Amino acid sequence: MDVAARGLGKATSRSGERALGIAALVAVVVSATLSLVVAPPDAVQGEVQRLMYVHVPAAWLAYLSFFAVFVASVAYLKTRRIRWDRIAAASAEIGVLFTALAIALGALWGKPIWGTWWTWDPRLTTTAMLLLIYLAYLAVRRVVDNPSRRARWAAVIGIVGFVDVPIVHLSVVWWRSLHQQATLLRIGGPEIHGSMLTALLVGVAAFTLVYAYLMTLRLRVGRLEERAVREALSPQVGELEEADA
Amino acid sequence: MHPSSETSVRAATVAIELRGVTRLFGTIPAIVRANLRVERGEVVVLRGPNGAGKTTLLRIAATALSPTYGRGSILGFDLEREREEIRLRSDLLSHQTRLYEDLSAAENLAFWCRLLGLEAAGIDAALERVGMLEVAGERVRGFSQGMRQRIAVARTVLRRPDLLLLDEPYTGLDAEARHAVDDLIREAARDGRTVLMATHHPAPEAVAHRELHVDGGRIVREAP
Amino acid sequence: MTARAESFRTRNSVPFLRQAAAIAAKDLRIEIRGRHALGTLLPFAATLLVSFGFAFGPGRDVLERTAPGLLWMAMLFAAVMAARRSYQAETEDDALEGLLLAPVDKAAVFLGKAIAVALELLVLVIAVLLMVVVLFDLSPGNPFALLGAFALGTVGLAAVGGLFGVVAEAERTREAVFPMLVLPLVTPVLIAGVRATDLATTGQAGEAAQWLGLLLAFDIVFVSVGILVFGHLMED
Repeated sequence: MDVAARGLGKATSRSGERALGIAALVAVVVSATLSLVVAPPDAVQGEVQRLMYVHVPAAWLAYLSFFAVFVASVAYLKTRRIRWDRIAAASAEIGVLFTALAIALGALWGKPIWGTWWTWDPRLTTTAMLLLIYLAYLAVRRVVDNPSRRARWAAVIGIVGFVDVPIVHLSVVWWRSLHQQATLLRIGGPEIHGSMLTALLVGVAAFTLVYAYLMTLRLRVGRLEERAVREALSPQVGELEEADA
Repeated sequence: MHPSSETSVRAATVAIELRGVTRLFGTIPAIVRANLRVERGEVVVLRGPNGAGKTTLLRIAATALSPTYGRGSILGFDLEREREEIRLRSDLLSHQTRLYEDLSAAENLAFWCRLLGLEAAGIDAALERVGMLEVAGERVRGFSQGMRQRIAVARTVLRRPDLLLLDEPYTGLDAEARHAVDDLIREAARDGRTVLMATHHPAPEAVAHRELHVDGGRIVREAP
Repeated sequence: MTARAESFRTRNSVPFLRQAAAIAAKDLRIEIRGRHALGTLLPFAATLLVSFGFAFGPGRDVLERTAPGLLWMAMLFAAVMAARRSYQAETEDDALEGLLLAPVDKAAVFLGKAIAVALELLVLVIAVLLMVVVLFDLSPGNPFALLGAFALGTVGLAAVGGLFGVVAEAERTREAVFPMLVLPLVTPVLIAGVRATDLATTGQAGEAAQWLGLLLAFDIVFVSVGILVFGHLMED
């Protein structure tokens, strides 16, 4: 636990933050070039298919963020150190954006291809449920003002939600298999042209860097907020030990 | 602090020990750097204006709240890590009587006995002691605050806690109920059990050993 | 320091399941007294189903086909209401804090309350099933598969409701958050329950087995996770 915390500390220092920001920017530019210019248009779907290069990484991040929420929630309940609650909250805030993005892009992609905005595609549907769980998580955080209770409850939801998502996905997949409809995306070796795969992977990497950068930003803002609160309190309370970094 | 390896015989002569306990609710400090030490068998009364932090202090001692900062031990058990042990041996009486409205007095007590492995045979005696035996079969929903608090006292009698915590127990009580509470406190003091109480009322005569004044979240000692 | 002042009691000697049973029994006794299921849930379910009938009818076809879905929607709403009611009794006099401050296994509180809610829902289900058979002309089909689906489904709903019900009641403005939490989480129950019911009532009970398996898996996962984390929802 401590090694991870120290590594996190290093990454969230100002110079670490700047380095991450630059790396993310570079990666995004490279990814955009690859997906918009270098990769060829899809034989069947045409240019619309380029949406995949943003949609898939966004979806990947939606789930990565939630996994981070899960890990941080477990860590909080085990250690009761508020740092983990902050990480969970930050990851949820960022994750919900990526989730919404993934769904919006999925709909945008689907409209010209299938003629409808929503086809209950299993992966997309599970992602939509993930969005609802995220929103419930954030709603509970907003509605509880006692910080220790808020942290505990959010952690429980983060854990329960994460455990539930695979079950949701399984049920949706079985449910949809009743009606054989092709999905938007067929990820599988020979189907994807080499440069398309590269563009996709670079996109995933770029988005991951963007996530990491946004996390460090959000965590820094969180720490500043807490410092402000502590300073506002100190005339009444005196020097409080820094709960943790 | 006391080594947690010693379970059956606690070397504790200290019933409550709080060190630097601070509790924040968001940005509001309810209790700040409280140091409290109550020896076993002591009867200590907390006094102070509303909002001073007496309730918060009691609730922390009862393990209903955890301190934001600071540490403590109750009856030799760690405040954070050994809460269930504390809960086994302490009881908190407050304005909230923790009863089920749709059950009768006897059924409420029977539930607690079943849950905690207490002797159900003692229920009638406990109810009689607080003067509630005749209405034992009636639903709590129709009862006054005094009657409810008497049932709560009966429950505490059955539980026989080593540490008795009381938060403004006399609020809204009639004479009979106040007498029941006094009786409970006196019995605990006689048995050498520990009592920590917050109240505006005068404590039962000749029982309180110490009085502490709480104000603005801090403890100011008054009587030795 | 007298011998009596020193407590040699060890942990609460009542076994876990007996604690859960005591809590479930208490909840059921309160339920029978208050007649919440009979007085509120049943009329609510009936009204809902009749409304569905107006909304989707009067064609027999449509009603028959949508009957399983409507049935489970009604169960979903009933589960939310039952769980909320279960915790309402705990907050009237702050009895929930009494359970927190007693040497009671917090997981037993969860299990006991979930069991009570499940039993209430099961009774409700039988009544609602009868209504649906009558109103929507649903044939009972294979009763074992049908009852299996409902038994497993209500356990799942009760587990989620029993787990998060404490969120609904512990503080004031939580009303809207509770259904927001429960509904996405019980999606698998809804999907699997409707599928299994549909298959059971149209003579394909064999295929219902996989959906029953999913319901069982959901139940096991949620009851286990609930037992592990419930304590954290009660503590402050």
